[in-house]
Amino acid sequence: MRGATAIIKKELRSYFSSPIAYVVLGVFLFVMGVIFAKFVALYQQFNTAQQFGQAQGITLDKLATYLYQNMAFILCFVTPFLTMRLFSEEKRQNTLELLLTTPIKEFEIVLGKFFSAYALMLIMLSLSAIYVFFMVLWGNPELKIIGSTYLGLALALACYVSLGALISAMTSSQAIAAVWTFIALLFLWLLQSLGQGVSASWGPIQWGPTLVYLSPLGHFNSFTEGLVHIKDVVYFLSFTLFTLFLTHRVVESNRWR
Amino acid sequence: MIEVKGITKKYGDRLAVDNISFSVKRGEILGFLGQNGAGKSTTMKILTCFMPASLGTASIAGFDVFESPYEVKKRIGYLPENPPIYLELLVSEYLDFVANLRRIPKSEKKKKIGAVIERCQLGDVQNRLIGNLSKGYRQRVGLAQALIHDPEVLILDEPTVGLDPKQVSEARGLIKSLRSERTVIYSTHILSEVAATCDRIIVIDCGKIVAQEDINSLGATGVTTKTELVVQRSSESVIESLKLVNGVRSVQCLSNGKERIIVESDAREEIMAEIAKVVVNNNAGLVRMSPVQLALEDYYLNLISGKRGISL
Repeated sequence: MRGATAIIKKELRSYFSSPIAYVVLGVFLFVMGVIFAKFVALYQQFNTAQQFGQAQGITLDKLATYLYQNMAFILCFVTPFLTMRLFSEEKRQNTLELLLTTPIKEFEIVLGKFFSAYALMLIMLSLSAIYVFFMVLWGNPELKIIGSTYLGLALALACYVSLGALISAMTSSQAIAAVWTFIALLFLWLLQSLGQGVSASWGPIQWGPTLVYLSPLGHFNSFTEGLVHIKDVVYFLSFTLFTLFLTHRVVESNRWR
Repeated sequence: MIEVKGITKKYGDRLAVDNISFSVKRGEILGFLGQNGAGKSTTMKILTCFMPASLGTASIAGFDVFESPYEVKKRIGYLPENPPIYLELLVSEYLDFVANLRRIPKSEKKKKIGAVIERCQLGDVQNRLIGNLSKGYRQRVGLAQALIHDPEVLILDEPTVGLDPKQVSEARGLIKSLRSERTVIYSTHILSEVAATCDRIIVIDCGKIVAQEDINSLGATGVTTKTELVVQRSSESVIESLKLVNGVRSVQCLSNGKERIIVESDAREEIMAEIAKVVVNNNAGLVRMSPVQLALEDYYLNLISGKRGISL
């Protein structure tokens, strides 16, 4: 495991020695800030409406769901910028040759790469907790729901990062890796809407529900409602593990291709 | 120490390495000579377990590169053609990273990094970003990376490319200093370099080994030899009569101050005697007659051009 920790350390050093980490963190917080401002405006609107006996049943928690669903979607845009360099940069700089000719195992390389980008994403996620602070200050949110939402976000991010790592391992161009990662993540999200419109079936397989199941959106949404289902946790973990397995195969393929 | 048997590598339809076999003894420095694209780098990549061969086997220190890559990787230090460096790291951070990849025990890490910094003369730049270093320093950082774990076998792919003459001679000195304690394979297309550092050379052309020789016996095996004659008076008749000698291939007349004639002939003693007799009989005033050492350059060009039928 020493190889993996060495790689994590080196990757984090690389992230923060170039502007990339700061730019991505800054842009993410700015965009989320804009959305949070909209959220606050909406909250005030509903508060006023409720004083006149309207808009009953709209709670801070429902609004928070809106905030975090937006965040999960925006993370789709952010992830490619952090995962694009993971393997493609090593290929371009010929340093993959170094990694593959030293006695560390391929899975250590993959895990090191994955956890370095994931750690950065979690740092970013924890910075967004400032919104929770404001919500608690001026409202009365259900903290358990927010907790489950963050758990959902963390699990969804693991999927995003693993997918980004896989695509980065397949190309030596960062730009291509970023574009394809973004397309892949967007496609996964759209599977939800796509599935809802499909009624075809093939034998016992109902295409509609299958597509809906494959999309991370539905699984994430139950976390935002405060529900932690084992099936959703299993979905995210198996997605991540399977994608990391594929990444390992791609990296290993240098040995036999 | 290194055994290569019938290695072949195909990239799609292109044959990069074609049935190469050789072996290297412990403590030997082997020069790998060939033009760009001759298959040197590919052979090295196979030996370092970076890529597999299409056919054939190779082993280092008794471990097969396909069967037990882990054991092989532990024993080699490898400097690829482009040094595998991270431009965004400091030299010391980079060496620390490599030391971790090489699983150098924590207790020895500091000592080994210090030793390699000294050996590659990186002391002045150890706290600078690799991206800000010149090509020569980057190459040395690459070399330091290959040496950090005291490998038994060093595989260096064109280690002196891009260095200035002073650095080249320092790098050669460094490689020479490894003689007898390490086994080194060292590729280059600069001929004087192999002459200066290697014990033995292998010449590769178009993926095939065209020659394998001890550096000291180089040239002696050639079928033709060149003789330099210095005379006081050269004339057409001397040249013509030299050309008539049985076994002489060509006669060239050069003159700078003294008259110099270069005679290329079959390498037989009686021909030498005959040449001398002709010159004396023509009353040309023979001052000196000496064999021209077949230079490495000529030897190499002969091999490459002879095979392809190009006249140079």
